[in-house]
Amino acid sequence: MQPGLSFEQAPPISVPFRFFLTAPLFGMAAGLLLLWQGPAALASRWTSVALALTHLLAVGFMLQAMCGAMLQMLPVAAGANIWQPRRVTQLTHAGLTLGTLLLLAGFLAEQALFFRIAVPFMTVSLGAFALIVLIALFRTPAQGPTIIALRIAVFGLIVTITLGATLATGFGWQLALPLTEITHVHAAWGLGGWSMLLVAGVAYLVVPMFQLTPPYPAWLTRSFSITLFFLLTAWSLTWLPLQRPDDLQVALACAAALLAVVFAVVTLRLQGQRRRKVSDPTLLFWRLAMVCLVVAAFAVILQQMNPAEEDYVGTPFLLGALLMVGVFMPVISGMLYKIMPFLNWMHLQKIGKPGLVVPNMRQMIPEPRMMMQFRLHLAALLLLLGAVPLPFLVYPGGLALIASCIWLEWNLIVAARNFARFSRELEERLAAAEQSG
Amino acid sequence: MSEERTIDGRGLMPPEPMELTLAALDTLPDGEELLLLLYVEPQPLYGILKQNGYTHRSQTRPDGTVEIYIRKA
Repeated sequence: MQPGLSFEQAPPISVPFRFFLTAPLFGMAAGLLLLWQGPAALASRWTSVALALTHLLAVGFMLQAMCGAMLQMLPVAAGANIWQPRRVTQLTHAGLTLGTLLLLAGFLAEQALFFRIAVPFMTVSLGAFALIVLIALFRTPAQGPTIIALRIAVFGLIVTITLGATLATGFGWQLALPLTEITHVHAAWGLGGWSMLLVAGVAYLVVPMFQLTPPYPAWLTRSFSITLFFLLTAWSLTWLPLQRPDDLQVALACAAALLAVVFAVVTLRLQGQRRRKVSDPTLLFWRLAMVCLVVAAFAVILQQMNPAEEDYVGTPFLLGALLMVGVFMPVISGMLYKIMPFLNWMHLQKIGKPGLVVPNMRQMIPEPRMMMQFRLHLAALLLLLGAVPLPFLVYPGGLALIASCIWLEWNLIVAARNFARFSRELEERLAAAEQSG
Repeated sequence: MSEERTIDGRGLMPPEPMELTLAALDTLPDGEELLLLLYVEPQPLYGILKQNGYTHRSQTRPDGTVEIYIRKA
């Protein structure tokens, strides 16, 4: 072992940690909103409560964790260096944290002022993040399906931000925009173009790496991201204010959903073929996410085939719970349980010297604690899905969601505290070794 | 390529392959090559190799295995 080797490419550990420690707080806030509003939260996807809830999870939890992971992952896993990492981090973190609060206030108070502040603030901070990351992704010498998927994903994020800013401008200045159409396209790019492609790009790397599976088949990694991108683009064009080609729109949406099923099934198969048949929390979170992705995709297909059912009030809540609580929150939780210990380990290596053993990755977060959060999250998901036919379940569902996010937050704090403790111990041992030597 | 100069990191949990590689580089004689087998391109390792005076070349087998050959620059 030669810990004198340099790890300079990695940004300071505080860069990703601040995003990861903030994300669960918004998950808790979403749970509180569910408790406060009760079954009213399920009434329609267009109520201010539903919009606030969606953005607490999509921006407050998901985007927050995803941006932190992206800033960390690009230099480490993709060899792409971010311009001005400290400033970009501060701007992005402020944009996400204050931006989520502004959107929450705007939706719940129905005050145009909040949207008028949110539009320039979030467009500049998140837009700058997306552009800087996109440039880094085009300048990296690294190649391969992950880089291609990430480039398209960040393009998808830019589309999502642009459409979101357009919608918020509509709310802020009471403009007569086709809000329904823009919202459909905004949500599809946010969940499909950005989140799904980011998960796919990351999965190509981390599923074989951390779950010890065979690699993804080349036919999938070569075609998945580009096909999803074209399907989404074509589908979005069908929403333009022309004679709307209904059949084509349904066909494109179903094709995109089937593509997601293919990705999920391939991932589940790979996980079934893993070399060491041990289960760890990350594996369970990812398997849950892939099962939910299959169910959500078939729900989308059913909904598309039966347009009359679109107005059934439970459908949007069902899809939202499946995709956000069932797919993306578990993927993110599972990843955080690998990323935080790995970052701890890597940054501790920087302190070390020959002969000084750095604590193992497994010592960073106790596994039973992570398993407990998995169970809480699974309970939250099942209760929230159950709330569609039995609305009173929204109360225990909201409580379970809060509990899951508190557990996640505490586990991440444990990891951060262990990093501080281990680095102190290493430095003390180093100092002692120098004195005696 | 002798057996002891090959590290098969495909069934190992990160960061074990990196730890083994760095340890093996400590005892790698000049002019000799170390072969690392993985299912990914190890970007963090590449950064470390470059900054510490090692060169590497990699090629991908049809089954997705990446062969990484490392030697002193």
